[in-house]
Amino acid sequence: MNGHVRGSSDAVATNDVGVVDDVVRRAQHGDVEAFESLYRAHSPAMYALCRRMVGTDGEALDLVQDVFVRAWERLTTFRGQSSIATWLHRLGVNVVLEQLRSSKRDAMRLIEGDDSSFGSRSPGGQIDARIDLDAALVRLPGGARTVFVLHDIEGYSHDEIAQMTGIAPGTARAQLWRARRALLRLLDP
Amino acid sequence: MTDTQVHLSEEERHAIADGSLPGEQAVSLEAHLRTCEACADDVARIRTLMTRARDASIVAPPAALDEVWPSIRSRIEATKIVPLSPDAIRRKGRRRARGVGSAIMMAAAVIAAVTLAVRSNRSGREPTTANNDTSSLIAVADSAHAYEAEAQTLLNQLELRRSMLRPEAVAAIDHDLRIVDSAIAELKDAVAHDPNNPALRRLLASSYRQKVDLLKRAGNAG
Repeated sequence: MNGHVRGSSDAVATNDVGVVDDVVRRAQHGDVEAFESLYRAHSPAMYALCRRMVGTDGEALDLVQDVFVRAWERLTTFRGQSSIATWLHRLGVNVVLEQLRSSKRDAMRLIEGDDSSFGSRSPGGQIDARIDLDAALVRLPGGARTVFVLHDIEGYSHDEIAQMTGIAPGTARAQLWRARRALLRLLDP
Repeated sequence: MTDTQVHLSEEERHAIADGSLPGEQAVSLEAHLRTCEACADDVARIRTLMTRARDASIVAPPAALDEVWPSIRSRIEATKIVPLSPDAIRRKGRRRARGVGSAIMMAAAVIAAVTLAVRSNRSGREPTTANNDTSSLIAVADSAHAYEAEAQTLLNQLELRRSMLRPEAVAAIDHDLRIVDSAIAELKDAVAHDPNNPALRRLLASSYRQKVDLLKRAGNAG
């Protein structure tokens, strides 16, 4: 990942590489209150990631729940090679991608790059003068949205995205270009 | 690609905007941009979008994010229990309400596991000394205190509703509460004997959670 992890609380998130900080260590030993501290510190960033990748509040909240349950189950595998924020972020991406793959519609979009809904029109058929980035992201097909979020917002490389999503790097690039073009039409008509 | 009469391809425009091209090729394309206003404008628009994406502020978390934690806590406490039958303890997928009957069956299964674990632990094993993490002990004590307080509140509510419940439901609830309380008492005793045993502490936390769950479901019973 060549980018950055956004929005995590420095107080809990930024341990040095190779060092597991006290809160994480206590959570690894089964301290639920320590794990709650991790949740409080990292859930806003996790929500942002999930919200941008799936597009709706309800799905994003469900995914945040799933991510932190998975984190609890796997926390003992965290060895401090990266920051806990980076570890959680990668875990979150994987959980979201699993969810997208489990949805037939989104899986098809992820593979085939359906661009039928690309364009500048809102669901109501009106042309928007200007909408914000998150509102525009919602209008992208799942596959294009996923690649754009992972590459341009979260900073993953095409090779990393290909590895995570199971699509070819060339397909990931094509999805990214389509997503950017659609966003440019939506954001700067 | 330096001919201003031939515009950059879509791939080249995105690649130059990304900065993902090798040096020599990038220099060639940058030279084209200096002489081709159309390509330069388009690459500038892509770069602006990328900057906007990188600088995108955190999505404002909804208030509901705070309400997610209790569900997470409930699920992670459930993962501390060894399932005795498929779907008995930890359901995958979204949660839905269960009747008192299934709750009682689940509680009984867990209690059986607890009792077996306590008896097994007492049958000859030395107290665990590997984990002397006092902070974990304090956290467990705090957690137990929180569960006890919540259980007491629910018990008080149950007492108020007791006269409105069917007699057989009351009998079943009382029966299972006695079993849960017995399991908790055994586990407290075991933890006092072997305070650094994480498995016992987890079982104690699980049995507290079972009691709270049982009381909550009893509160919903008609």
